[in-house]
Amino acid sequence: MYLPCGVYHEKYRQDHAWWQTTFVRAKMIFLFLLLLVIIPQFANLYLISVANIVGYTILAAMGVQLLIGYCGQITLGHAAFIAVGAYTSAILMLQYGLPYPVSIAAAAIVAGLWSVLFGLPSARVKGFYLIMTTMAAQFITVDFVITQYVSKIGGRGHYFSLPPGTITVGPWVIDSEMKVYYVMIILVILCTFGMANLLRTRVGRAWIAIRDNDIAAEAMGVNVVKYKLLAFFVAGVLGGIAGAFWISSLFFVSPEHFTWSWSLWLVGVILIGGVGTLHGTIFGSMFMTLVLEGLKFAFMPLSGVYPQLLEKFLYVKEAAFGLAIVLFLLFEPKGLAYRWWQIKNYFNLWPFSY
Amino acid sequence: MSPAGKASPAEIEITKDLTLPKLLLWTARRYGDRKVAMREKEFGIWRPITWKEYLDNVKYLALGFTALGMERGDKVAMIGDNRPEGLWAEMATMCVGSIGVWLFQDCLIDEVQYIIDHSDAKFLVGEGQEEVDKALSIKDKCPELERVIWDDPKGMRDYDDPILISLKEVQRLGREMEKREPGLFEDMVEKGDGDDICLLFYTSGTTALPKGALLTHYNMLKMGQNLMRVDPCYESDDFVSFLPFAWIGEQMMSISCGLQAGFSINFPEEPETVLENLREIGPRVMFSSARLYEQMVRTVQVKYLDASFTKRKTYEMAMNIGYRLADMKFAKKKIPWWWKGLGYLAHITVWKKLRDHLGLSRIRNAYTGGSAIGPDHFRYFHAIGVNLKQIYGQTEIAGISVLHRSDDIKFDTVGKPIPETEVRITPDGEIISRSPSVFKGYYKMPEETARTLRDSWLYSGDTGFIDEDGHLVFFDRTKDIIVLSDGSRFSPMYLESRLKFSPFIKDAWVIGDKKPYVAAVICIDYGVVGKWAEDRGIPYTSYPELSQEPRVYGLVEKVVRQVNKGLPKAARIRKFINLYKEFDADDDELTRTRKIRRGFIEERYRDIVEGLYTQADKVHMDTTITYENGRVSRIRTDLRIAEVPLEEEA
Repeated sequence: MYLPCGVYHEKYRQDHAWWQTTFVRAKMIFLFLLLLVIIPQFANLYLISVANIVGYTILAAMGVQLLIGYCGQITLGHAAFIAVGAYTSAILMLQYGLPYPVSIAAAAIVAGLWSVLFGLPSARVKGFYLIMTTMAAQFITVDFVITQYVSKIGGRGHYFSLPPGTITVGPWVIDSEMKVYYVMIILVILCTFGMANLLRTRVGRAWIAIRDNDIAAEAMGVNVVKYKLLAFFVAGVLGGIAGAFWISSLFFVSPEHFTWSWSLWLVGVILIGGVGTLHGTIFGSMFMTLVLEGLKFAFMPLSGVYPQLLEKFLYVKEAAFGLAIVLFLLFEPKGLAYRWWQIKNYFNLWPFSY
Repeated sequence: MSPAGKASPAEIEITKDLTLPKLLLWTARRYGDRKVAMREKEFGIWRPITWKEYLDNVKYLALGFTALGMERGDKVAMIGDNRPEGLWAEMATMCVGSIGVWLFQDCLIDEVQYIIDHSDAKFLVGEGQEEVDKALSIKDKCPELERVIWDDPKGMRDYDDPILISLKEVQRLGREMEKREPGLFEDMVEKGDGDDICLLFYTSGTTALPKGALLTHYNMLKMGQNLMRVDPCYESDDFVSFLPFAWIGEQMMSISCGLQAGFSINFPEEPETVLENLREIGPRVMFSSARLYEQMVRTVQVKYLDASFTKRKTYEMAMNIGYRLADMKFAKKKIPWWWKGLGYLAHITVWKKLRDHLGLSRIRNAYTGGSAIGPDHFRYFHAIGVNLKQIYGQTEIAGISVLHRSDDIKFDTVGKPIPETEVRITPDGEIISRSPSVFKGYYKMPEETARTLRDSWLYSGDTGFIDEDGHLVFFDRTKDIIVLSDGSRFSPMYLESRLKFSPFIKDAWVIGDKKPYVAAVICIDYGVVGKWAEDRGIPYTSYPELSQEPRVYGLVEKVVRQVNKGLPKAARIRKFINLYKEFDADDDELTRTRKIRRGFIEERYRDIVEGLYTQADKVHMDTTITYENGRVSRIRTDLRIAEVPLEEEA
């Protein structure tokens, strides 16, 4: 960490503090002001809804970041655990009338346990084979269990509808984008802080050791199976929270919200943001969402000339996603987080280069 | 991270009765556990030691020393890096009423033996295994030596010589002593008198054997007080102690000023991490030899060369502004508002960051002493807004007699005398001074004392003059001054420091006394020139090979030409040679404070000197090198002599 001259610590507690200088503290206070006051005050409804998508992507990608970026377990089925979270939360609220916060907690636990179940093969298989088992999680969970059985609960048919007023925290009814924004901001802040702290504990270090070299980690006394399953559990918990959050902005929950391409998209988010960095997750989520919205704006005017564009926008989106991944792997293989680090370094080292 | 104290600190009245231990007792009782006296970087953090802990450690150590049979007037030799334990041992020694003798931690075994033997030291406090080994190998030759105390237990498990005892054990003895005779410590401290000798400094003589200068409590206290009358230090200040305790300058800050001002002393983790640790602390006061400042400038220049285009250009612009402003400040001209504006711009864009990199962003006063710093270096630091000041003094006057004032700095002088100090020039140009800090004499050397100390005036052996503004101009050591072919007198040190402003040159030795022209022996900087050669694809395997590379000669020649510009014709360097090694204190070529020992190297490199004044184009060298571990190796090589053509005045 770069510290300016004259900052020193007499205790480890100070040495480990997140924000050590006045400059950083001021920066963080400004960030919180921006997120909690300025944006809700001045942003229009459209921007808020985009912010909500960014927040959802952050929450969803954080579990992927943990598994791939910090524990080295490649996963292509994360949408399954988001789906488990969403359905658990929805069922608990619709069938049992539990309050929303309780349902979020329950959704997190259930999704975590479900994730451990599909993490079990990771004890024996690595690399490509693990990718296959995580993809199996996607298809077994969403396309089989949820579509065939869970969706039938309560005789609701294909999807669970969530009429406005269903989701409440005590007397506070979450029925507008603005309110969803507040829920999102609180959850994102909590999850980011939790993850950042978890990653520098014994557990986090064990995960990183497994990512860098699982055999060496085991030789050093890290219980590889235990920590891999723990990683799957925490990733599932984060997925569950993401899913439970997302239903608050939906009018109905359907398996189509949690397709395999969403799992793939999340991997793309962390690739572009930067594998193995927490703020990479945030940068990636912002980039992917904002580029998509930008594309919409770019294509809307053209639709007057080419009306098909409007209906074919989905393909444009997929193509843009593919192109972005290819370009990033070519020109910025370490992701946006690395670029951010380089920009900071450029000024930290000013007027020198090292 | 406390703000600079604004109120001028209350001055302590220094009576003839006051001693350093009494002051320690008083200060420690005043601050107790409320203020940090020292910090040591250990295991990644700056472990604090409060004033109470400081006093307790000193107390038990002093009582332990007494238990081991130390009496008033005994000598205690100390050797080791800068650590709190070293300072505790020194203060404990003074508390008992004994005399502390510090040795440079990289002293060779013969020097250690000479000093311990000559000073009749009864005790030796060493840091760890290395010092213990030295002590054990000389104990038979030093009959006075009774006990060797060690502190760092690393590697000490198998040592069972009865002469050895650990610092912890001494403190345990001290605690027992305290139980038996409570109040003994306070009595011992009370017995002290200001005129008692407290420290015996062996000067790193550039000529003969080291001489031991005897300094009293009164000397030390007065010196600190008079320095702080010019530049007050505050109790909220931070100071980094990294120069050898055996150097008077470090004692001046850590003991004399430290105890009076009550600021915190910070000890670096390892000698190798000094610059990094210095940057973490960001001291407000700093006193160092010219070496460190030269090293800083060298680092900056090398990094500058490697920076990207935008950064280089910004830096150049800011430096141009800085030099202009510094020159205006030196000339005491009023600075026009647009220059002030430009200066502010340069400050926020470059200088601020640059000082941050150097660890000087909070510095209020930076002093340099020991040897003169070159005018280029001096201007450089003022250009980036560091208040660098020259200190002039000798160990014999407790370190300082002349100092720059913040608003009155001239880079070719060393400033004006501090309060209670008189400085005069004898008819033959020798600098003499008188103050309450003048020492008591050399230990066991009455003739030397008589020669140096006449009518309470200290004869320094330096040549200089006092200019029209009352500033002392230090020319050079009298015996070092060279007489040029045209009969004028010139300071080789001046030329050397000009040469050393180039990052490529680490050391230079200028010759020319009563010779037809001036010549120089250059030691290139291995790291910087090595990088330069790498960038240009010049192959080399070792220092000797790199130094003899023709393109490196070309590089050095460019520097020499640059220096020659603006010098009188007779003083220009006409020939130079790149030495096959760097000057080293272990080869006796430098003193422990890294000054060139001219007499010695002239003898050692006689062939080179002869070669430089003949028509030969190379010199054959056949010599031996001593390594720090005592290993000796032989070197045979040819050195090329380069001629620098005289440029005509444009």
